[in-house]
Amino acid sequence: MSKKFAFPLLVAAGVVYFLLFPQQNAYAMHIMEGFLPLKWCIFWYAVMIPFLVAGLISINKTVQANPGVKMLLGLSGAFAFVLSAMKIPSVTGSCSHPTGVGLGAILFGPTAMTVLGCIVLIFQALLLAHGGISTLGANTVSMAVVGPLVSYALFKAGQKTGAPRWLSVFLAATLGDLMTYVTTSLQLALAFPAPTGGVAASMAKFMGIFAVTQVPLAVSEGLLTIVIINFLASYNRRELEELSVLTREVRA
Amino acid sequence: MFAIDQYAYTSRLRPVHPGEKLAFALVTMVICLASVSPAAPLAVLLIMTGAVLFRAGIPWRFYLKLMTLPLSFLIIGVLTVAVSISTGPPPPLLSGRTLGGITIGFTAASLQLAVLLFVKSLGAVSCLYFLSLTTPMVEVISLLRRFKVPALFVELMSLIYRFIFVIMETAEKMYVAQSSRWGYASIKTAYISLGQLVANLFGKSYHRSQALFTALQSRCYNGDLRVLETPRAPSRSNIMLIAAVDLFLAVLALYTGGGLIARIHP
Repeated sequence: MSKKFAFPLLVAAGVVYFLLFPQQNAYAMHIMEGFLPLKWCIFWYAVMIPFLVAGLISINKTVQANPGVKMLLGLSGAFAFVLSAMKIPSVTGSCSHPTGVGLGAILFGPTAMTVLGCIVLIFQALLLAHGGISTLGANTVSMAVVGPLVSYALFKAGQKTGAPRWLSVFLAATLGDLMTYVTTSLQLALAFPAPTGGVAASMAKFMGIFAVTQVPLAVSEGLLTIVIINFLASYNRRELEELSVLTREVRA
Repeated sequence: MFAIDQYAYTSRLRPVHPGEKLAFALVTMVICLASVSPAAPLAVLLIMTGAVLFRAGIPWRFYLKLMTLPLSFLIIGVLTVAVSISTGPPPPLLSGRTLGGITIGFTAASLQLAVLLFVKSLGAVSCLYFLSLTTPMVEVISLLRRFKVPALFVELMSLIYRFIFVIMETAEKMYVAQSSRWGYASIKTAYISLGQLVANLFGKSYHRSQALFTALQSRCYNGDLRVLETPRAPSRSNIMLIAAVDLFLAVLALYTGGGLIARIHP
């Protein structure tokens, strides 16, 4: 490739690409199958496993005391999967798919979400061809560990300080999504550090590029989650109270 | 409801032992990921595509469509790896532009990495598709059970798989009902409708889970779900074939350690 043509060629390729596929549906940012080198796949699996085991142990405890919770978790997992297949009209005019990170963490607690999120990611890879088996560890850490933890902590902090519910729900859902995307960018940057500037420069690149889809997605999902929680609070109060069994005991 | 799931049940490789298919997909994927030159991943892509199209009998149009699904992530990701942005003195760029002290361009090494990454990802994706287009989810779950994955995890998987379809159908009916009443006419109504849909869906799922629990309890549920599995005999010829193909790929990956691109850009 000669020096003169390479750069304009790249720009042209970009333009053609966006002309061919206009109005992309922004999915949550899952790292695709095969994108991470083998050692990073193994590393993120190793990071994932303690969280998954802790989640399973605490769910197991709740299930022993309260066997109906297993069915509830099964339904909740399916609910989370279906949620991720829906489309929200995004604030930028295209469509984006909710991740369910914030809503799931608020409803089911972060430990249950780790297990459910991991299973949902397996199904997304095998049924929707979204994400992958080799990158399952990395995606679980960003989507089902970091995201829900941030969402849950923010929601609880909001409740403690007496912030209005819409605000804490919005912050929980939006920042949960944003942190998921930041974690994914970090995972990509660690695997592919830039030749000059290393991991930090590479992370800035990935974050900058994926911000185009992920920031509108996070804001859209934050807004949607407020609407959902308001409806739930007015029409499903009894179910929410029964559900608090899950968050309280799973957390203990 | 999911085309991949339907093909998994109707593919010609359906009667093959699921363990063989899983082993083939995973071992091949590992070889593809471990390889440092584009030759082995390309071979993986060819072999897996051949297996999916000719052995499993999946229509090529559908397979091609599936292959374009991860393309937006792949193209964006690969370009991000290829392009290097620096503010200091520019690295030895193959091609680039400097605008206001910021240099944007390619280096030979990053370009080479990007090409390798592109091919490797496509190879790994073809392994994933081989598995998901030939092996129904139920069989994957029963394999996990046999590999001593914690019982709770496996049970949750089978419950979730079962209910995805029920909940999906409910959600679709709600969506049709809402949109036929102009529920998605503007962005604002769309948000309200979708919020209503999700909240109701949650209520419905909740009640369904309670109904399921009652139904199970009235049938002497004592904590674990047992399902009947159809036993499949492993076939020696298939195992030999898998071993031969993967051996070939592993040798190819080791033999072509130098890489094709290195020769083009010395």
